[in-house]
Amino acid sequence: MSIAMAERAKLEALRARFGAAIRRADLPGNGRMFVTVDPAAIREICRHVFREMGARYVISIGADDRPFSGEFLVAHNFAFDGDGVLCGLLAHLPGDRPALDSISDVVPAANWAEREFRDLVGIEPMGHRYPKRLVLPDGWPEGVHPLRKDVSWDDVPKDFDEDLEFKFDEAPDGCVVVPFGPFHPTLDEPAHFRLYVEGEMVRGCEYRGFMAHRGIEKLAESVLSYNDIPMMAERICGICGCVHSVAYVQAVEDAAGVRVPERAEYIRTIMLEMERLHSHLLWVGLACHIVGFDTLFMQSFRIREPIMWMAERMTGNRKTYALCLVGGVRWDIAPETGAALRGVLDTLEKEWRGVVDAVTGDRNIQARTRGVGVAGPDLVKDVGLVGPVARASGVAIDCRRDHPYAAYGRVAFEVITERGGDVWSRIVVRMKEVFESIGIIRQCLDKMSPGPIQARVDDELPVGRMGLSSVEAPRGEAHHFLVTGEGNRPRRWRVRAPTYQNLQGVPAMIRDQQLADMTIALGSIDPCFSCTDRMETVDVRSGLRRTWTQEDLVRLLKKGGA
Amino acid sequence: MSVDWPRDILGCALNVGTVLLAAPLFEGVLRKVTARIQSRQGPPLRQPYYDLLKLLGKEDIESGELPAMQRFASRLSLAAVLAVACMVPMGFGASMGGAADAILLGYLLVLCGICTLLGGLAAGSTYSLVGISREMMTMISLEPLLAIALMIGAIHARTFSLDAIFVGSVYGTGGPPASGVIMFGVMLLSFQAFVGRVPFDIAEAETEIMEGPLVEYSGPKLALFKYARMVKLVAYSGIFVGLFVPWGSSLGFPWAPIIFWAKVLALVLAVTLVAATHARYRIDQAVRYFAGMLGVSLVAVVLASLGM
Repeated sequence: MSIAMAERAKLEALRARFGAAIRRADLPGNGRMFVTVDPAAIREICRHVFREMGARYVISIGADDRPFSGEFLVAHNFAFDGDGVLCGLLAHLPGDRPALDSISDVVPAANWAEREFRDLVGIEPMGHRYPKRLVLPDGWPEGVHPLRKDVSWDDVPKDFDEDLEFKFDEAPDGCVVVPFGPFHPTLDEPAHFRLYVEGEMVRGCEYRGFMAHRGIEKLAESVLSYNDIPMMAERICGICGCVHSVAYVQAVEDAAGVRVPERAEYIRTIMLEMERLHSHLLWVGLACHIVGFDTLFMQSFRIREPIMWMAERMTGNRKTYALCLVGGVRWDIAPETGAALRGVLDTLEKEWRGVVDAVTGDRNIQARTRGVGVAGPDLVKDVGLVGPVARASGVAIDCRRDHPYAAYGRVAFEVITERGGDVWSRIVVRMKEVFESIGIIRQCLDKMSPGPIQARVDDELPVGRMGLSSVEAPRGEAHHFLVTGEGNRPRRWRVRAPTYQNLQGVPAMIRDQQLADMTIALGSIDPCFSCTDRMETVDVRSGLRRTWTQEDLVRLLKKGGA
Repeated sequence: MSVDWPRDILGCALNVGTVLLAAPLFEGVLRKVTARIQSRQGPPLRQPYYDLLKLLGKEDIESGELPAMQRFASRLSLAAVLAVACMVPMGFGASMGGAADAILLGYLLVLCGICTLLGGLAAGSTYSLVGISREMMTMISLEPLLAIALMIGAIHARTFSLDAIFVGSVYGTGGPPASGVIMFGVMLLSFQAFVGRVPFDIAEAETEIMEGPLVEYSGPKLALFKYARMVKLVAYSGIFVGLFVPWGSSLGFPWAPIIFWAKVLALVLAVTLVAATHARYRIDQAVRYFAGMLGVSLVAVVLASLGM
């Protein structure tokens, strides 16, 4: 069945079931569906799409559309992975009463996303089962929603109490609280888990994150222009920056119908796979470090280093490739660089084989990782887990195959799956994916033909169009949603990093596990907090119960220095 | 068994001095070899001396719940392990002129562990509490192994005097040396745990509980704990050599000390190699492992009592 036919069939099914509640549908025929529905029916429609039609939940977006239409907008995005269709279910809400039914009881994966648009756009998810603040700190005043269009990007409300401590939930009876974070040697980024521990067993946890907010989405919507944003999107993450850069430009190209030259698509594919290579090598190293196996950690990093040098030779930088513009890429790969890249890949393949043999032959590592941090297929579905975490549970989803972008439709590769659903399976999946990435880069180098690398974009981009883009990051699907706007910049740009969904699965993965397994279980989703925390304009410094305020620390520093 | 005070005090001072001087060097060897296994350059051999000097010269910050107890625990931990070093023959025969016996040694070794517990308890952070609960579980299941090894030596030698035990008495006199060989194996397989290195550095586990009992320590107090840990590696190696491979120690100067330190170096290299090729066990896995060892060593006790 062609993609266009699949879209039509889905729409017919929805019309047959919900009739007039389906108000409008937009099927561009490229694997995207935008269906405007009656807000009163949104919960039932989402339940039907998620449970009966078997869609995977991607993300929910809230947008302030009042300056243009006088309304608020909510989009619940789903993916039909088998049919290659990404679907946005849209609801328009009146400008004076932005509220709609929460879907988090029928689609548990929407828990965070709904709390986020409640915090940032001020759209109330009615009946949410845990309506606690997610992104905004507790000291932020009620009724100020930073992503609304009438709030400037540099606004700080006068009654913002920066030092107010978080209000935490009560720990269950018989449990002590072990604070894990905000700073911990294995986290490397601020995030706070309050673990409820009984003896050595973890019985539950509460998560507070979003501590390093940089206001990236707000800046894109109010300060930057279309071609500035790829450079900033790249800085969302220190590891998978290229993913966000590509995902953003693809969302713009999708919305505006820009066609990208073939050679540019190959170059994007090569750099995305380079990024996967160094990310997976880094991750396997870190996983070994977490369980105390430092020798493999060091060896992984040694093997990884030539990839970084190669990236520097190709792009001028070890990381942050400054690759994409809307409609193409900024630089080309010279023939001699391609030959050098092949050489690096050959060495990597040989050396990585050695690491894989060492890890799979080590009973000690397996003793620490088998049966640890288990996520079954049900949890994958309910929480919307993606990437190696999903594939390690036998759920074969991979955007590169399911929603082909760049040159992935023209290369052959295998989607690696395992059955165990535990940390060990995730290690195996990532180790094997390295070989697939090497294969993909080689195919791209073979198939690339000379040609232009940048499409001419002469006209202004059309206004008010929507674009979706899913890119398979090393950690799973990175999804970008974009509405084009006036003044050479988007009206709304929503980034959903893979960790955003995967983190929501962590409490279930660590429940009734040993405290010692907490770090490796958390590490196994390869959490990327900078991706997840991408979007606010405030800075939170509280979080520990015995808190040093910022003023205290500054005073202490001055005293010590004098 | 006469006590010759000047000679014995001199012997003890010599042991303590040698161990204090040599322990950081062995730590340096361990780090250097680890680095080479990991394809790294590694720090210079003298780095542990610099580290200790640096820490000793830092401001003494009182950051725990019971500062007095913390000071006490850090000093006692080094003192206890140095007292152990006094009793272990280091190529000169055991000093203390036979006054030292196996029971005292056993208590002193437990005291080393108790200092860690005290230190962690006094620091009072959540992580150090998790750390000391792990340390306690390790101690309870691990220390009996060494006690049994000493006991088997004592059974064969028919005395608790260390002088009589640290000459390879575990292998008995005449008859098949079954119990001694079994304990040799048991101690070899659990040696890593006695010196607190990977895969048994569970109580400190930097990536899980941020060094556990030591999380609140810095400066001079941390230096003492670290020094104690380095000395522990040498002292336990000395005990191991005395119990199981004492041969060559009666050759006199200079061969006896040379042979002794060569054996210690071999043990340190073995520890390094194991630490560099293993992942850390979880506490429940470690305790199961020690329980298995304990079962085997109980068989050895029975054999020893039968004269084997």
